[in-house]
Amino acid sequence: MAVFPSEQWFREVREVYNSDTSLHSGGGGACDSKAGLGIGDKYYKIEFAGLECANVGVCSESDLSEADFIIEMPMDAWVTMIKDVQGNGKASSNQTLNSLDLDHEDGIARSPIDDQYRQDLFYRYNQNFQDFFNASSRVTTTF
Amino acid sequence: MSEAIDMQEQHELDTSWMEKMGEWGAKATPGKRGLTLDDIKVGSYGDLPKNSDNMTGRPRGATARPDAYRVGAYSVHTLSEIWLENAEFLYEEALQRQWSSATDVPWHTLKPLPDAVEEAECLLCTFFNEVEFVAGDVPARWIAKTTPDYLEARNVLSAQVMDEARHMDVFRKRALANGGGLMRMSGATSGFVGSIDLARDFTEMSTRLHISGEGAVLTMFRMGELFGQNDAEKTMYRLCAQDEARHVAFGVMHLRFMGATAPERCEEIECYLDEAEDQLLAGQQNPAGTQSETSEALAILLGGGVEQYDEGHRKLLVIRRRQLKEYMKRVISAGFSTRFENGRSPIPAAYASTN
Amino acid sequence: MSENEPSKDSETAKPIQGVPNPTYEWMGLTNEWGIRVKPGEHGLRLGDVNVGIYGEVPERWEDQTRRPRGALPRPGIPPLPYSLRSKHEMWADCAANLYEEAIQRRWIPATEVPWDLLAELPEDVERSVCQICTELSQCANTELEIITYWQDQMSYGYFEVKQYLATATFDCARHLEVLRKRALSNGGGLGLESRGRVNRMILESSGGWTEAVVYLYLLRGTYLTRLLAGLLEYAHNDAESYIYSHMLEDHARHLTYGYDHLKYAATHHKGGAAIMRTLLAIGEGMFAAEIEDPIVKSAMAIIFGGGIEGGRTFGMERYLLLIREFLQDYLELCSWLGVDREETLHPKLKQYLEI
Repeated sequence: MAVFPSEQWFREVREVYNSDTSLHSGGGGACDSKAGLGIGDKYYKIEFAGLECANVGVCSESDLSEADFIIEMPMDAWVTMIKDVQGNGKASSNQTLNSLDLDHEDGIARSPIDDQYRQDLFYRYNQNFQDFFNASSRVTTTF
Repeated sequence: MSEAIDMQEQHELDTSWMEKMGEWGAKATPGKRGLTLDDIKVGSYGDLPKNSDNMTGRPRGATARPDAYRVGAYSVHTLSEIWLENAEFLYEEALQRQWSSATDVPWHTLKPLPDAVEEAECLLCTFFNEVEFVAGDVPARWIAKTTPDYLEARNVLSAQVMDEARHMDVFRKRALANGGGLMRMSGATSGFVGSIDLARDFTEMSTRLHISGEGAVLTMFRMGELFGQNDAEKTMYRLCAQDEARHVAFGVMHLRFMGATAPERCEEIECYLDEAEDQLLAGQQNPAGTQSETSEALAILLGGGVEQYDEGHRKLLVIRRRQLKEYMKRVISAGFSTRFENGRSPIPAAYASTN
Repeated sequence: MSENEPSKDSETAKPIQGVPNPTYEWMGLTNEWGIRVKPGEHGLRLGDVNVGIYGEVPERWEDQTRRPRGALPRPGIPPLPYSLRSKHEMWADCAANLYEEAIQRRWIPATEVPWDLLAELPEDVERSVCQICTELSQCANTELEIITYWQDQMSYGYFEVKQYLATATFDCARHLEVLRKRALSNGGGLGLESRGRVNRMILESSGGWTEAVVYLYLLRGTYLTRLLAGLLEYAHNDAESYIYSHMLEDHARHLTYGYDHLKYAATHHKGGAAIMRTLLAIGEGMFAAEIEDPIVKSAMAIIFGGGIEGGRTFGMERYLLLIREFLQDYLELCSWLGVDREETLHPKLKQYLEI
């Protein structure tokens, strides 16, 4: 049982995501991206290479200065999203990363250097990130 | 008497060409992403001519033959006119991320909708079907005009032609799959002066198509997750959004390259941006524009019905605001930030007025 | 414009300034409503939604706008230069199915070709393979350029064909990519460019798309099928087998469209068959001259013969057999099309049948 958020939790999700290609939905596919996740006051880096989530781990905010984009929400928003995934097997339509980004006036994804081209990678690779978080439905989670 | 060929004489093996081949010994090796177009830019095969004199359509790096026929009247033959630094990357990404409207959209999740909502969705699908016609036709035209020396950039455009065909297809399918039909055409994509398909310069076209037009449509597709009424629609819009983001990326990166390598053209590009912004604000080809019937349809969808039109329109204004903001940031990313600082662009004022 | 009341559902909503009163004048504007096509066992395919008026494909499409077929027109929209507006100028019944098939059978050279299984070949064989890759590259380039040139001129009444051709555009880009990758990944390089007689003939088909298809698919395309099949038969490793087999599959789709279209044109356009006959009479001479060029002939002979030595004898015999098989295919196809060429085949091609 893993606690969200924690490095252990992300590693378990990564293992599920990488080991089962049925979790990679149509419109996904290979992507190369180094992104960050801001969860409350904690930060994680997450890296996709090809068809896999290559790496995920805890880091500091300054470590993410080179990230393509950072997905950042308050802790309770993340918890709501993960609970929704846990309960439904995948994100409900109002709890997808895309929906959450649209619901927030300034969005939830930002480029640390304020470069829209890099921020657009969140749109280009949206399906991969969504599939990754949907994979967390198979990880027994506590909060 | 048989005129059978004397095989030995007429079909003697000729190996003289072997000494005239291109640079030899190229051994590109696959990396983590397989063997990509970037990986094969080895030796002189990776050299990009600033000006291409390839008039025969030969592959870049192939040996020219003195007796080859000139077939290429390529109007795009300088690097700055079409190049972008990550062309190889975008092309390979496009190949990886193809999808099928027939099988990747969960059509079985469509359920009958209230009449007004179905009409609104069908109007929007008719509009998007029409808009994607331009986005497919016009890059195709420019492929034929571009020297094969810039194969990587051409291949990205070829991928776009494929993506747009898929978009045309998925919106037509949606309009005809849930008790509706196609509605009236918008006419927004026709041949008005300043429109995408009348552009006589590639960068002019790309500015209007990729940065302005597709940038606005990208926001719309992303919004599909909010106004889509079922999984089929949400999936359809989400998948289209990914493709669209790639096309927008082409435009931004090309403009960035152009600005950096042909600074003498910057003022010209600013004029194209002036026109594109006028169109963005006027609502042409932008269904979230304030004056189009598609904006009424969107407001119905965003609100969830005619009765909630006002609420839907409020959400539409939020979309418009985001379109304008992201447009500005893309143009800044492309290296043309000054226009937002010196008062040339009307977009900052328009953005402020949406607050 | 009026100030609207805030939404009753929202406690914090402010009045929306300047929300235009919707007119809804677009509602009800449709040619046919109530269409509900459900997905079948292969999903929801393009041809499936050709129901009611949406499936009516007229012999002539006068509309020069981007009106989706079945959508209502809008008065006052300026025309666009769609020069191909008759069904016989592009139609093939199989286009919609081929479009879906192309999407389902997509492949990714970077990651699906087992590049690590390429193994060093004798130099003469490697040079020959690279030369053929260069030649085929130029064929793919010509195909890409002629398709994208004409695609832009095809009206939207026959969107199935445009969508299918978008997949062919993408296929050509993929072929350009994979052939270049093969040439640059095994210690070789690119070869000499093609002299380009037939390329020029194809690209100069300015009379119409049908005329281009005669040369592109009936004449040269039928030859390329045999060439690719020969390369597959003599592939040196699994990487080459993968490349050639998948190229052959893509190419087969292109020919299916091409032959189907020519059949439609020959049977639905008065004088169409006679025009084809004229074109072929000229084209056969060009084609015969092209295949006499020693470079492709010798390279293929070396591949078939396993080297220069074998190329002089068995290899050359095998290549000449390939030409004969191509001509037999070609004559049979011409007969099927009602454009019989057996008696009038160009003498320089006829002699290959007599070897």
